[in-house]
Amino acid sequence: MAKEYRYIGKKVPRRDAVDIVTGAVNYLDDLRMAKLLYGKVLRSPHPHALIKNIDKSRAEKLEGVKAVLTWEDVPDWRGGTPGMTRILDRKVRFVGDAVALVAATTEEIALAALRLIDVEYEVLPAVLDIEEAIKPGAPLVYDEFEGNIVPPEFPLFGPGCLTGVSMGDVAQGFDEADVVVEGTCGYQNLPNAIPPEPPGVIALWEEPQRVTIWASTQAPAVDRMILAGVIGWEVDLKVLGHPVGGSFGTKIVVWQLESFACALSKASGMPVKMVLSKEEHLATFVLRPESRMNAKVGMKRDGTVTAVSGTWLVGTGNHSTTTQAQIAVGCGEIQLMTRCRNWDLKSAIVCTNRNASGSVRGFGGQELKCAFVPILCLAMEKLGIDPLDFIKKNFIKPGDGYFWRDGSWYQYRGIDYSPAMDQGAERFGWRDKWRGWLRPSSVNGPLRRGVGVGVHGNADIGEDVSEAYLRLTTDGTATLFSCVTEHGTGQRSNYLKMIAEVLGLPLEKISISPSDSTITPFDFGPVGSRGTYAIGSAAIAAAEDARRKLLELAAPLLDAGVEDLDTEDGMIFVKADPDRCLPWIAVGHDRTILGYGRFEPDFTLANCMTTFVEVEVDTETGKVTLLEVVNATDAGKIIDPPGLEGQLNGCLGAAGIDSALFEETIVDRGTGRILNANLLDYKWRTFAELPVIKNVVLESAISSHRFRAVGVGEVSTAAGPTAILMAVSNAIGVWLVEYPVTPERVLAALNRVAGGPQGGAA
Amino acid sequence: MRNFEHLQATSIAGAVAALTRFGGKARLNAGGTDLFGLLKDQYLPGFPDSIINIKGIQGLDAIGEERGTVTVGALAKLSELSRSHLLAERFPALVQAAGAVASPQIRNVATVGGNLCQDVRCAYYRYPSHVGGAIGCARKGNGPCLAVRGDNRYHAVLGGRKCYAVCPSDTAVALAALDASLVVAGPEGERRIGVAEFYTPLGNRLERGEMVVRIEIPTSSLPHQRFAKFALRRPIDFAIVSVAVAASVTDGVCTEARIALGAVAPGPVRAGEAESFLRGKRLTPEHATRAAELALSGAKPLSRNGYKVAIAKTLVKRALLGEAAGGAGEYADVGLDR
Repeated sequence: MAKEYRYIGKKVPRRDAVDIVTGAVNYLDDLRMAKLLYGKVLRSPHPHALIKNIDKSRAEKLEGVKAVLTWEDVPDWRGGTPGMTRILDRKVRFVGDAVALVAATTEEIALAALRLIDVEYEVLPAVLDIEEAIKPGAPLVYDEFEGNIVPPEFPLFGPGCLTGVSMGDVAQGFDEADVVVEGTCGYQNLPNAIPPEPPGVIALWEEPQRVTIWASTQAPAVDRMILAGVIGWEVDLKVLGHPVGGSFGTKIVVWQLESFACALSKASGMPVKMVLSKEEHLATFVLRPESRMNAKVGMKRDGTVTAVSGTWLVGTGNHSTTTQAQIAVGCGEIQLMTRCRNWDLKSAIVCTNRNASGSVRGFGGQELKCAFVPILCLAMEKLGIDPLDFIKKNFIKPGDGYFWRDGSWYQYRGIDYSPAMDQGAERFGWRDKWRGWLRPSSVNGPLRRGVGVGVHGNADIGEDVSEAYLRLTTDGTATLFSCVTEHGTGQRSNYLKMIAEVLGLPLEKISISPSDSTITPFDFGPVGSRGTYAIGSAAIAAAEDARRKLLELAAPLLDAGVEDLDTEDGMIFVKADPDRCLPWIAVGHDRTILGYGRFEPDFTLANCMTTFVEVEVDTETGKVTLLEVVNATDAGKIIDPPGLEGQLNGCLGAAGIDSALFEETIVDRGTGRILNANLLDYKWRTFAELPVIKNVVLESAISSHRFRAVGVGEVSTAAGPTAILMAVSNAIGVWLVEYPVTPERVLAALNRVAGGPQGGAA
Repeated sequence: MRNFEHLQATSIAGAVAALTRFGGKARLNAGGTDLFGLLKDQYLPGFPDSIINIKGIQGLDAIGEERGTVTVGALAKLSELSRSHLLAERFPALVQAAGAVASPQIRNVATVGGNLCQDVRCAYYRYPSHVGGAIGCARKGNGPCLAVRGDNRYHAVLGGRKCYAVCPSDTAVALAALDASLVVAGPEGERRIGVAEFYTPLGNRLERGEMVVRIEIPTSSLPHQRFAKFALRRPIDFAIVSVAVAASVTDGVCTEARIALGAVAPGPVRAGEAESFLRGKRLTPEHATRAAELALSGAKPLSRNGYKVAIAKTLVKRALLGEAAGGAGEYADVGLDR
């Protein structure tokens, strides 16, 4: 398009920016309403136990207590995939599992009531390790899951749902290889994305069967779908999305807390608010699945991967709603970065007595690659292949194909990302700094520097359905109706920019509805990196539809064909003769024009992030310092430069690069308790320790929607962890295959630790 | 948080009387930065009946010098220590240690008395009550130390007994190297306890009704001072290992050296053998390395904390040689308080 955009690609203040920085935004916990009760959860001290007896009578007598619920009181609501997990059960399956629920007029009373509930447990043997869990005779988390293996199907993805990658002939592939390596690697440190706002909900149950949910959720329509599956489709359920104080993919699976609030509201007849404390957030909310892979890789001297076989064990904790989907997407993503004809990669989902798993940014692909790439590196080392060359050669190219999550084969119609990789390498100085495998790029006494590179791409940019309505009011304003919440990325403002371009309207004439499931059409929500392409396409289509309807109404008035007309700043004019014009209101002051847009899933495009890192390792203390990060990508046309920069600079925390450096959830193997469920002990980078971050962003014309843009938000974190492992291994000359690279592990690898067993898998 | 009686103490005598009256069921509140964690997480059995605010006790934050002794009031803020010209001149290691604690915001609130008396950071000990109940342990007098067979990556490598939690205070390490004493007030009047002797495996030597009122540091001429802290992150983190060194060197020869190790034991540990070894020696890399070996010669690491011994040796060696501690270690963001 030759015409210059008014807003796309320009720095425009986010619609909600001033409200956020002045504290005017109403987050979930800011909401107040009449007769509001506060709900609290009594939590299990044991990782695995049966409730022999539970006495709530003392709690019920406390003044201000309106409802106390135990497993004996609640409806038989079940969640998870498959739907096995009762909201309260006679059996508790992790430390922190819900034992009883209380609603009271104040938080203090609710907490006091929890202390008055007497519970007698029969403690059962627990299993916390995924490899222990699949051994014969291991305690069963669910009697129904033999060997603690969870069924692999994810109904939403259909009968072909990927559970592995299977094609070609691996035996032949290994024969063709110049080197075959085998290895095991785990990404099991459970890095927590920890959005600043803890999960929270208000539920109001009105008889008969009418439920309103005010939720801190990333995707209200999906949330409604999941919760309806738990409390019953017969319930008239509406979900009101709110500004979300960060999500990082985690606030999609919030049905558990919501179902607690629903049950308490049903029992008390009053609205019930439940907000997790920071400790509960870290210790009891869903976590990233554990990933452990044993794989064999065949590779040729030129970097061609001839075969991959292996088993991917995925630890799901006591249950999960999304693990099967994460495996399916991960299995797609591994093909995007490894062009190979022969695959035999299998997966198994293992449940244990720790927190449930849920969706977290990186959604399967990050978990899989963090465990797989170190094994690939062993082969590259044997053949002396520069990992940048490997990545360039093996990342998906136009015309290649892959099985995606539904098991179908898709042909890639996107761009070649090699130019972005090259420019990133140049910015980083890769060719100067790369000295070969297990060789430092520089040595200064005990300080050794090393470099690494990682890549991540995802065809989720076009996943799932989005719908949007666009309402034009003939006074020259427009309103987007979308079930998308703002969870920190600024996307709600970006859709307004797109609509402004389509309608030729000033940005301030366009507004957006609340993400209320009763007034907005379906949207899968801003998950993965689908916000820009998938959701953007629906918003654009709705605007185009409304625009066409407007011009159709104006055409007879201007005595012109629809195709001859255009609109700018609330005026409709004949393109060839702009003086022949009418204001929108000429089509009727009493008329509303409604456009509808729908995006159908498209798995034929993928985004790509290449991350280069340089670290310095103090070989006498084991300290690893991240010195520099270069992120290289091609985002197509940049919609919002500061928003994109924010996404890319977000590569470190929220379970990204730092999940290889120091982020980890420490689960005590003896008690099953999480030992660092606070932000002091869960190590989290502060602004005082930011490394140099450089971003290289190309703007190729990508065949997405009319603005030729794709999202890269999710992938900014995912390429980094493997790059860190590579960089530290190169710096010290010893392979590290466990995350994170703590001083303990580094010193152990260097044989500088005397005494007891050190390092190893967490 | 649960309800409690809030008392305003305006004198040491008043605070001591209140502490005595509540018979162990009262807590002092100075900066409150450690206390509020206790009140919120409720990791100890019982809940304080009373919180005694001592912030209003006049003069208890004074820093001054008299007859060869520098005194620092217990209510002096950590940021006041790290900004003090007197301390910077006499005891740079203490200034560095005070500036290495937490973050500028916390140092503006937290007091040195509170820093010395803060509770240990053991994750088992501090496990919050509202996520399955607090954990009983030896320190609480109701169970074994779970760290011995559990996750002990941050626990003691020296001097642990019954409880293997380490003293988390940075300033205690510098004060131990400076031969400082704590003046403690109680129902029976005042007494003095050496900082290195203040801590015990299960707590400290404060008796019921007692409180730390000031620190006394003998002025001595040990001009070479250094505090080094190794932590996973620079601001807002507790030491994995810390080291304070104070030495005098004449013509390249060490005439006296004091070395204190932190975060490796229930209290700061003076490395007597290493100190004796260094007397009369040149501070060469070889001698520093030998001194570091001697300082850790008594280490008995648990299953997962042997790496702390390696880090401690490195810190001792580097501190003696006047080198940067490395990594995030260098006395944190000292200077931000200026």
